[in-house]
Amino acid sequence: MAATTVTQSLTFPPELFATLSPSPFLLAHLSSSSSTRPNGRTSSTFRKPTVNTNSLSHCNGSAVVRLGNTACVCGIRAEILPSSDVANPSYIPTSLTPESPDTNMADDDADNEDEDIDDGPEMASLNLLVPNIELSTGSSPAHLPGNPPSTLAQSLSQRLLDLLHSTRLIRAKDLRILYQPPLLEDDEEPDAEPTVEVKAYWVLYIDILFISLDGNAFDAAWGSVLAALKNTKLPKAWWDQDLGSILCSDAVAEANELTLRGLPVAATFAVFDTRRGKGMKGKTGSWVLADPDTFEEAQCEESVTVVVDDGGRIRRIEKSGGGVVGKAHLRDLVELSQRRREEWKQVLNI
Amino acid sequence: MTDRRRINGPSSGTIVPTFISSTSSSQRPNRTRQPDELRKIFLKTGVTPSAPGSAYLELSPSSTSSAPTLVPTSSNLKITCTVHGPRPLPRSVPFSPQLVLSTNVKFAPFATRKRRGYVRDSTERDLGQHLESALRGVIIGERWSKSGVDVVITILEGEESCWWGDEGGLVGADGRAGSANGSCGLMSVLAGCITVASAALVNAGIDCVGLVSGGVAAMVNNSLSSAEKRALGSASESSSVCVLDPSPPEHDGILRACVVAYIEARDEITEIWLKGEAGSPEETEQLTEKAVVAALASGVVLKAAVSGPTDEETFSEDVDMS
Repeated sequence: MAATTVTQSLTFPPELFATLSPSPFLLAHLSSSSSTRPNGRTSSTFRKPTVNTNSLSHCNGSAVVRLGNTACVCGIRAEILPSSDVANPSYIPTSLTPESPDTNMADDDADNEDEDIDDGPEMASLNLLVPNIELSTGSSPAHLPGNPPSTLAQSLSQRLLDLLHSTRLIRAKDLRILYQPPLLEDDEEPDAEPTVEVKAYWVLYIDILFISLDGNAFDAAWGSVLAALKNTKLPKAWWDQDLGSILCSDAVAEANELTLRGLPVAATFAVFDTRRGKGMKGKTGSWVLADPDTFEEAQCEESVTVVVDDGGRIRRIEKSGGGVVGKAHLRDLVELSQRRREEWKQVLNI
Repeated sequence: MTDRRRINGPSSGTIVPTFISSTSSSQRPNRTRQPDELRKIFLKTGVTPSAPGSAYLELSPSSTSSAPTLVPTSSNLKITCTVHGPRPLPRSVPFSPQLVLSTNVKFAPFATRKRRGYVRDSTERDLGQHLESALRGVIIGERWSKSGVDVVITILEGEESCWWGDEGGLVGADGRAGSANGSCGLMSVLAGCITVASAALVNAGIDCVGLVSGGVAAMVNNSLSSAEKRALGSASESSSVCVLDPSPPEHDGILRACVVAYIEARDEITEIWLKGEAGSPEETEQLTEKAVVAALASGVVLKAAVSGPTDEETFSEDVDMS
């Protein structure tokens, strides 16, 4: 009886090895000649994203994004913030001139002109974007409901908000609901420019629910936000002077789409360093793993998130937890991120 | 009080858009199904690989509106469920000879016409209680002493209790509970929750005495305008008809509705929820029986969904029956 137990303990399945000593398990995979990760990918392979858009009927825009075993749903709901309710209206532009409706078309001049206008303070101070990530949907055993949002969920939401603002992805122009007072006939200056005032703003509530979590929550969440924003339709809204309120049209043909500034794509890397892990004395080496899953994330402390946009422009680099990735290494990661952007671009149909 | 753990919107709050109905979309959806015909159910297990058991349920839209509109005339139910466990209870919990079941039902913020909050409200807790009693009767708790299991349900898209046109001429996107139908939409949601939770429990390999499935039946006013009803006078009661799996926006008035959780293998009802004006005992019984018929029909889908990948011994006899 005792002998059988001993023989059993000598050969145990890989799952048991992974559970008992995760770091040496990962090291054994990476330091083998083929250097594949336990999930079968090479260190620079990302998981292929799949995107499904506008399947939720109560959302202005929605998307389901799946990255391997990580899956999340993003739903965007638009509500109205009347300008009269804003406590500090100093950021609301006052000197707007009426525009012809086709200026938001892909006209190069108009586009460039629009790039110059800094509407960041307007968006940020009015809190027009409200992203929130919900992990506690039973998406993984570590995230069960009944508790307030975990630190991971809080930091992910905050990172999303920062990225939305710093990339200036959404134009404030698309969110404004304008009103042009009718010109009175006995106007003293008939040649005066008609003025337009901002009566209200659309506020976008961006809610991301994780159906399943297997690492790299940020890339999946950001991808779903991009896909949902791309498919968001805001109803045509106008100020009704008689009712004193904003009214919307339910016709799809009259709805406006958002015109996004570029397509910044996030790529996350985790760094596995033998000096950090347990039970790896005398072994040296470090590996950068693209698009880590939950098992790898638990073994890696350093992580790098690179956000790149069109033409290799770097929109954001977040790096924390260690100093393995240096200047030269970072250049490689930016290169990889650019390739990753092409992949996303294809999936998002842009 | 602001929630400091989440990102909050503008401090003054926001108002929901008020839509002006264009003529094309202002028609109440009509029930095109037979009274005893259910909406098509899509049920799949194993959608959350990181959880021991999971399932996803979706109801196909009952009526397709003729004109595309930003105000959906009806919604189709979409529910995901994950089951975590059985796992040891924490040390602080007193000894329990039976499996400790906890259910958690949450609507996504974007699930309904009116945006939901992030913290569970009384409706969601109520649904959780109903679901717990429905599942408690089916789990063999004695086999898992000192253990707990969490059933977590996220409703990605709920069912509305009334057609948006019932809320007044100029309608906001906020769906206050329609006076006519009460909270009948919740009953369809509960029936879906029961079915999907049952599938997820099987997927997690938790011992059950059978498969429990949910079904809804309702007594609705026949599609007569109020003028016609007045002409009929006292005969209005007889103009009501019993339908299975009602989609509340399609009906002007739902007199009473009933949802049951039914175990076919044992011919048992583990949960029953009746709403509306109670008729005579015979009428109630008739309605309950109709709900059981609906549960049987959704049970067929449930069996097909769980019999594929999972090969649980407990369910072998149920599968043979089909």
